[in-house]
This record gives sequence, structure tokens and C-alpha cells, in this order.
Amino acid sequence: MPGVDLTIEICGMSGDGTIAAGTLLNEALSGAGFSIIGFDSYPAEIRGFGRCVTRSRFGTSRMLALSDHTHVLISLDDQQAISRISMLGKNAKVLFDNKPAGTVQEGMSIAAHTAPDADLYGMPFTDLASEAAGTTRGKNLAALGCFTGLAGIDPRFFYTVIEKKFRAKGETVLNANLNSFNAGLTYAHTHFEDAPLVITAPAPEKKKVQRIMLSGNAAIARGALDAGLALYFGYPITPATPIMEYLAKTLPQKGGKVVQMEDEISSIGAVLGSFYAGKRAMTATSGPGLALMAEMISLGVMSETPAVIVDAQRGGPSTGLPTKTEQSDLHAAVFGGPGDSPRIVIAPTDVAECYQFTLKSFELAEKYQTPVIVLTDFFLDNRVENVAAADISGKKRVDGNIYPPKKEQGRYQRYLVTPSGISPRALPGSEGYIYPATGLEHTEAGLPDYSEPVHMQMNAKRHTKIRQALADLPPPKEFSQKGPLDLGVIAWGSSFGAALEAVLKARKKGLAVGALKVISLFPYHEEQIRQFMSRCRRVLIPELNFQGQLANLIGHLHHGDVVRFNRTTGTPLLPSEILLKIQELLQKDNT
Amino acid sequence: MREDHFIVIGNGPAGSQAAFTLKEKAPEARVTIVTKEREGCCHSHLLPGFLAGSISEKKVFAISLDHYTKSGIKLRTGQSVVDVNPQRKEILLEHKETISYSGLIIAVGGRPYIPEPLLAYREHLCTLKTFQDTGTWRQLLPAADSILIMGGDLTSLAVTKSLLALKKKIYFMLTGEAFWPLRFDKALQEEVSGKLTKRGVTVLAGNKLVGIEPVRSGSCRVYVDGQKIKVDMIGAFFGLVPDIGFLRRSGLQLDRGVLVDEYLCSSHEGICAAGDCAQIYHPEIKDYWVSIGTKNARSLGKIAAVNLAGGRKKTRVDRERIFDIQGVKVNTSWWMEF
Amino acid sequence: MKTSGRILAQKVQDIQTSGRLSIRSASLPTWCPGCGYFGIHQGLNNAIQQLSLPHHSIVTVTGIGCAGRYAFFNNTYSFHVTHGRTLPVATGVKLANPALTVFAIGGDGDGLAIGGGHLPHMARRNINVNYLLFDNSMYGLTKGQPSPSSPVGTKTKVSPAGTFEMPLNASLLGLSYGTTFAARLFAGDPESITQALIEGIRHEGFSFFHIYTTCLTFDKENKTWEHLKERVHPLPQKYDCSNLSKAMAHILEDDFSTGVIYKKS
Repeated sequence: MPGVDLTIEICGMSGDGTIAAGTLLNEALSGAGFSIIGFDSYPAEIRGFGRCVTRSRFGTSRMLALSDHTHVLISLDDQQAISRISMLGKNAKVLFDNKPAGTVQEGMSIAAHTAPDADLYGMPFTDLASEAAGTTRGKNLAALGCFTGLAGIDPRFFYTVIEKKFRAKGETVLNANLNSFNAGLTYAHTHFEDAPLVITAPAPEKKKVQRIMLSGNAAIARGALDAGLALYFGYPITPATPIMEYLAKTLPQKGGKVVQMEDEISSIGAVLGSFYAGKRAMTATSGPGLALMAEMISLGVMSETPAVIVDAQRGGPSTGLPTKTEQSDLHAAVFGGPGDSPRIVIAPTDVAECYQFTLKSFELAEKYQTPVIVLTDFFLDNRVENVAAADISGKKRVDGNIYPPKKEQGRYQRYLVTPSGISPRALPGSEGYIYPATGLEHTEAGLPDYSEPVHMQMNAKRHTKIRQALADLPPPKEFSQKGPLDLGVIAWGSSFGAALEAVLKARKKGLAVGALKVISLFPYHEEQIRQFMSRCRRVLIPELNFQGQLANLIGHLHHGDVVRFNRTTGTPLLPSEILLKIQELLQKDNT
Repeated sequence: MREDHFIVIGNGPAGSQAAFTLKEKAPEARVTIVTKEREGCCHSHLLPGFLAGSISEKKVFAISLDHYTKSGIKLRTGQSVVDVNPQRKEILLEHKETISYSGLIIAVGGRPYIPEPLLAYREHLCTLKTFQDTGTWRQLLPAADSILIMGGDLTSLAVTKSLLALKKKIYFMLTGEAFWPLRFDKALQEEVSGKLTKRGVTVLAGNKLVGIEPVRSGSCRVYVDGQKIKVDMIGAFFGLVPDIGFLRRSGLQLDRGVLVDEYLCSSHEGICAAGDCAQIYHPEIKDYWVSIGTKNARSLGKIAAVNLAGGRKKTRVDRERIFDIQGVKVNTSWWMEF
Repeated sequence: MKTSGRILAQKVQDIQTSGRLSIRSASLPTWCPGCGYFGIHQGLNNAIQQLSLPHHSIVTVTGIGCAGRYAFFNNTYSFHVTHGRTLPVATGVKLANPALTVFAIGGDGDGLAIGGGHLPHMARRNINVNYLLFDNSMYGLTKGQPSPSSPVGTKTKVSPAGTFEMPLNASLLGLSYGTTFAARLFAGDPESITQALIEGIRHEGFSFFHIYTTCLTFDKENKTWEHLKERVHPLPQKYDCSNLSKAMAHILEDDFSTGVIYKKS
């Protein structure tokens, strides 16, 4: 049986319950055992109304990226949904409300715009809801019911999530929503006897895997919480703000604090102060904020103070494209700031990794006494995946601090030069280890010293230390067969999923192609990357920036030129376009 | 000047031909086809062959959907017209969208006719008019060894031929019940009955259906005049009735179909009808006639389009080719050799 | 007067062995001889000693400039940060470990120019940090440029024709931002500094110490010792430091009164 791989969009005006419906749909499909990747788009403007779109790709195998086309479009507002028609694939199903309040002029209905191959299902969402629940508010639920009926999905998956969502709001609200859903379901069953769009749920997993629907931002926040975050300092900026919102709700319950600072400089300043005093802290920002933090990050490097910074990238430069996705802060994250300023930069590629690497970053920051930048982007932050609960929990908090031995009491040298470059770090409050930390070049005792040997020695110490961190950083992961490859695709961050899907498809077509996931961007695993590259006749690096920033960073490791595949449309890379590029490159080779 | 907007309701052979002709005769005009079918133009006379596997799906849909788009014809599939307002020159779609027209061609064709006594068993009866109908057939056929064919229209014979090719056991109930537009006279009935029997079909001529009892999924027990036969599916072929219920409030003159003159113009200006649903006046016989069959439908679609675009073309049928069935004059250009 | 290095070293050793000034670090201040900062240093050290604060429970966060060097001259944990960012870092330190006594120290360039955006928010948050702003109206470490508190007409190498900008009044800013404890002090009077600091350190909330001092190397006309000594005087005897509007009115009228200007009760 061929696996399911479908994309559903729900589109409406804000106020239609579009996002709520999308969330319920995702949860229900997750309950049915599908793998899901969802990406919503909200109105960017503050006026609070506009188009809302939820997009969910779900299937029986693991979903790695978004799809090119939408197979099912549920329109809660035709005027908004018309713009989504361009996303429809061949023979897409379009569910729309066929009983608007009054008659409408030609062109006002989505039916006037769909291509002839589209399969229209007009169903009276609004009427169904108002008849079933006495209010039109449940039209989103009625629409979900209609979809469930058409798709022949077991409604129990939906009952469970509707219960879960509305139980707390009381019996009346819960019943209103259940009734609206059932009205839609019954309507679909009676009007379309044979479910025209049969979606067969996958066989239940042998070992029941508990899955949680989570956005990248929520995963980051949860990773930080599980790492024992004590303080969060932040300044509002799209797309990082949801992390602060999530923590504002959860961190105080664990005795921590969320403080909105006056700017990004003070946010990172307070994070450094907190780590300096021995408590885990974090800030999250986007490109413009990262730029402001550059000087303070280098203070963290120089004073060897830990910090955890999430950079949720968006379109740049400058204020750029706040609600668009891009991977163009790589250089700023790796190199930003005065002087030789080595720090750790890691980029999760999916939601589970957002959790894992955020959690890990605290340990790394403490152990290597350095700022750690977790590099995500708008797409990764806002997309939802149903991750296995096991992948985002159960991690024990590890104290990464290396404390000075007791014998150092009274003659403590904070910046003692060691083979690893790591000097044991005392925390304020401990007797006998008083030291000055400074952003000036300093001696092992922490006193200012600009002499040649000191600066040479300390620069070497700081770089040695960060190189050492490679041992603790997630190595590149290869997805390919053994032996020589015609083409190797190297990708990072949110684009990796699309690259991997493209590579898997290319391999199915018999092409000798492999993929390499690079997570640690600084320091990076030079040897492993070089080894992979040496097996590839050509190397392709697709990324969402103009210059090819990863290619700039690691391209020199390849014996030949690397092929860059860059675009800055503000939208996630799609597997199809990478696949096309792969085929084009290999074809060129053969002619 | 407002641009002309021609609407064709129906995308069968008549409707699609009408639309393409309109676009040809009036290239500046907008042409919209509205069809309740979800697929493109389906040649229903090829469906039995499709079931037998002798005709491909591509052939059933002779016109690709792209061809409409490329020709500048807006094709609205899966959308039903629920009313026509000739005064305001508007049509109303089921989803409450109104569309204005300057000219309208009604070419909705017919839907399978089920005689009154059989309506109680509707859910057990399979018809074969649209491509969607083939879904049920294809679902049930593999497990169906015996099939009862009821009725006796042209499609029934084609289906029987296809089913025999699939090595199915066929019962044929040539009831002689009233159906439209065809009805066999005794001689024809005997001739057909004889041919069927020779092919190994069990003909239950003259028998009356007493009841249908579902046994298990798909399978039915059929009681005929006291005798019981078990069949796995039942096909019903009693001809077609024009699908013009949506015109009841329009004020158009209707009988069984839309009444039109020899130019295919209806009682209202700017509205023509073509194909199976048109009941056409014949000046020589001074009576109305209907026409069935793909070739006829196409030709009528073309005439209606020409006339709507300002032409003046008459339908021409030889008197001899029109025969009378129960008071209805029928022209058929196709008569298959069974 | 010139002191030879050997004699100076002997003096330092004497002081260290006496334990009298153990709050001083082994590093000698690099401030110019006669700098007002020595007076503040003394005032702060005395306050720490009088309160018997364990030195390892103190964190001194300093900015950039002559005042920033304080980090190396004190026997406390200290964090010499970037220019203007003492208050954010101090916020992090204090929230992370409230048991610590936290000082933030910076000059007028650090606190009124580059870091001028942090004071209002520090005041709003009212976190228990003690902020000492050394105000000598001069950038000393970069060799004499005007600061935001320099009077109009200040002539320096970068303002040969004299500055045109109006000076900022740090005490007035502190009050208007809602600081819950504000004192205006004079480096030439270490004793009053000590007294105000003791009160401010005990204050549960943000304490702001605006301290007039001099840059005798680069300022020959505005805030010289002579100029300051001539004008600085204690607050009036009947002064009510719990009344904000009267405190602000007083500050507007009198530029040189010193003492605890305001304390929110």
C-alpha cells in the first residue's frame, strides 16, 4: 500500500478559528499515527485581522519538509482562500462554505477561481454550526467534521482532541464544538456516501509512541526549562518572541523569572551577569538583535563567561523581512563582534533538535565558558511537528561548570592556562576565589595586560578551548550509501529536511547522491566534512541566503568548487527544487 | 460596451461542442461552462467499453482539461446550477453565486431514469451515465459473478456485451416497462431477446420484479414472479430523463425537456438548448422530437452556439430517421450491432 | 610632591599587613595622583567595612573609562564589562544570586552617554543594585573629551570652539526616572559618601549615587577641585528627603547640595 503524503491547508480570516482548526487537525492526525509538519502563517500587521493559513503536511513516513502543493484546501473565507489556489496540486480537493449569508456576485466564491481539475466540495459550514450549536462560531469545527467525513477518518481521533481543548472551558462550550463537528461529519456522510478522499490511518505502532505537537520555539523554550533555566532576558522581536511568551507562562512556575529588558544589549548583558553569578540564563533574538549583541558576545568570549543566545533568523539585512524566513545570520553568528572571538554556534534542523540542542547549549556554555548561539529561523521556529515525547524529555540536567579545586583557595588564578584551554571557574559568593573578570586582555589572574606573550597565549587559550568543544558537539550526520558519490548535498538548519528529502528521492531514482547534515557550525567538524566531501565528485550546498554562507564557511574543505544553491524569497526551501538542481547537475555531468 | 458572456450549462458532447463553437464564433466573448460533473467531458457511450478494459480512461475524456483553458474557456466543474432567471439574465449556482450571461445554452443532458416501482430499491441499482458511476462498477465487479441487468436501453446492451467479455453470468430482465426515450415493440423485443439468449444470457422477458433483498455486501436476492435468483449486482438501464429540474421556476417552456424551435432557441431570448435535454420542434412533422447519441448531441451543440452567436442555422433531420416512441419522436444516429 | 616607587611600595605593604584596608586589592589604582576617584574609593571601602560585608559576597560591575578600572582595585568579585553596560550585567548578577551585594560603577560618559538608556529601566525595575556614577564631566581615559554633563562652552581637542550642548543633570534624571533612593555626593568628602552608601546599600531597591568628582588632568576650568570645593555644600538641615516633588524642585534650584536627596518611604 502506498504511503499517505498529503498537505492540507485551512485558510480563513482571523476570527474564523483557522489556527484553532489547524491545531485540532494536527493533533487529531498525530493521534491517528501520522507524522506531521505544519507551518501556519498569521497576519503580520498589528491590526489583528487578515489572512490566516495553516498548512499541514502529514504522512505515513517521517515528514521532513513542506510539500510543493496542497492536496486539500479548506476555505473558511473564500476571499482569503482564493489566493491559496496557486498552491493547489492536480485534482486537489477544495472544501468551502456553499451557503454564504446571501447570494454573491460572480467571482466572490472560490468556486469561480479553481482550475477545472480541482474537486469542489461545497458544504454549509456556517449553517451546520449554527443549527448544531446555535452559534456560527463553530464553523471551523463543522468544516473539520466535513473533512473528516470526506476523508473517512475515524472521528474518535478528533473527539479526543476536541475534548482536550475545550474540556476546561466547560460543558457548554465543549458540546457546542462537538455538535458542530458532528454536524459536519454527518453532512459529509449523507451527501457524499463514498468518502471521496480516503485517508487510511497508518497501522498503530507496535510500541505506542507518545507524541507531542510542538513548534520549534516551544521546543526551544522546553529545552531551556529542562536545562534548569533560571532567568530569561529578552526584547520583543519577530520571530523570537514566542519563546519569551512560552517562558513567561512556564518559567515562573519553576521559580524562575522572565524579564523584558530595554534592548538586546541589556538582554545579553543580564544573561552574562546571571551566568557569571552562577545561574543559567538565556535570551532569544533575531538578526537585528544579534547585531546589537555582538560586542557583549565578545565580552563573553574575552571574560570567558557562558551565555545562551537563540538567534531566530529572519530576512535581512537591517530590519529586513521580519516575517520571512532566511538563513543569512550565519556569518554574523559565527564571526560577529570585535577581534578573534570564537564561540559555539549550533543550528538545529528540526523541532526535536531545537529541544535537544537548546538543552545541550547550556551545558556547553558552562563547560567551555563561552557564549553559545543556537541558530534557528522563522520557518523552524514556527513550524510544528509531532515529535516523540521521548525525544524531548528525560534529559537530566548536567552542571557543566568546572569549579576550582579547594587547594586553589587563596591563590586562585581565574584564567589559568591549561592544556584544554578551560580554566576552572569560581562563582561570586565563594570565599577565597575573588577575581576580576574583564573584557580587556588579561593575565591568568584576570588583570589587564596588553603584552605580546599574554595576548598570544590568551588568544590561543580561547581558541583551543572552543576547538576542544568539538568533542561534545553533535557531529555531522551522513545519509548516503558507502563509497564514491556523484553528488553530496550539505545543508544546515531548517533547510536540511528539504535537502534530505530531495536526496532520498534522487537515490530512489538511482542517482548516487548523499546528504550531510551539519549541526555544529562553529566550531565545525572539519575532518568529517572533508571526508564526506572527498567522496563526492560534486558538492551542492543549498541555503536560504544570497551569498551561500555555509559554502563560504566550509567550501574550502572541498577539492573542487562547491555548487551553491541560494534563494532569498523568504519562504522555506522545497525538496522539489533541490531535487531539480541535483538532476540538473548530474545531467550536465553526463552530457 | 459590456463584454458578451456566454454560459453553457453542461459539459457533455453537446455542451462542450457549444462552448468551443461559441469561442470560435465570438472570440472576444467570455465563455463559461458550468457542469455538476467533477470530471471533464465524458463520452458516456464509451463507459461500457471502459469497464471491459477495451477503452482507456483517456479516451473516455476526449477533451483534456488543459484544452479548455488554452482555448480561453472557463470550465467550472463540480458546480450545480439551481436556478435561471431569464429576466435578469442570471444563473444561480448551488453555492449561491450568481453569474450574469448575455447568452445561455442549456445542455445538461439526462440522468438515468428509474421507473417508479423500482425507486424503493434505488440503492441496489447501479447505473452507468457518468464517469463517477464507473467507480461503483469497478468496486463491485471483481467479486460479482452474476449480474442482473434491468431495462433494455441502448446502454444496457453495450454493458451486457462488456460484461460477457468479462465472463460474467448475466440475467437480463427485459421487462417492457415504460422507459424513456426508447421502448421496444414486441418484434424488436423478441429479436433482442433471441440474440441475448444465444449469447448465453438468461433473459427474464416479461417477468415482473417482486422484490430485492440484500444478502450481504453487494450481493442481492432478487425475486421475480415467485422465482428467486441470487445476483451479486444489479444494473438499471431505463434510458434517460432530461435533468432540468433546476429550470422549474425559470419560466422557460418545458415538457420532458426544454422546448426549443428548430433553431434550438427557447421561449426566452438568449437561451438555447442542445443535446439530450432539448425537445426540438420539427416544422414538417409539426411536433417535437428529441435526439440521443453523442454525434447528434455534438451537432446540436454546434447549431445552438452558432445561433446564439448571431447565426441562423436550422436543425435538419430526415423524417424517416425519426421514430415515435410513446408519443415522443426520437432520432438516434447510433444503433449498435449487438 | 614626588614619591619614589620604593617608598610607595613600602607604604602599600604596610597597609596590607595592617589589614586595615583589606578591601583594596593587590593592584594599585592607576588613577592620576590627586584624582577624585581615590576619595570615592575610600568612601566605598569604608562603607563596606563598616557594614562588615564579606568581600566574596560583593560583586562590582564596572564600565569603561577611569571609573571602570575600579574593578581591579577592589578585593571583591568584579566584572569589568563593556562601555555603558554595567546596569544590565548587574541586573543579571543580582537576580541570579540575591545574596550578593552588587555595585555598578561607571563614569558620566559610561552612564549618561553610551549607557544612558539603561538608567531609566534600572529605576523602573527597582532591582537592589547600588549604582555609583562618577561625574567629572570629562572623558579621561580617552584623553579629554567633553561628556554629556560638561557645561556649554567646554573646550577640548574635539571641541576647540567650545561645546554647544546643554549638560545633563544626572540627579534630576535619576529622580524623574523614579529611582527609589538617590544621593548626590562629592568625592572630596569621603565621609559623607560612606554614610550615604551605608544607607543606600541597606535600601531594598535600586540606589543611585551621583558623585561629583574632578578630572585634574584634562579639566582645568569647569569641575576643578577649587571650583567644586567652593560650591559644594550639604543639603539644608530641614531638608525632607521623602518628598519627591520638593526634591526635584530643590535639585533644579541648587546644583551643588550633597546628601541623600530622595528616599522612597
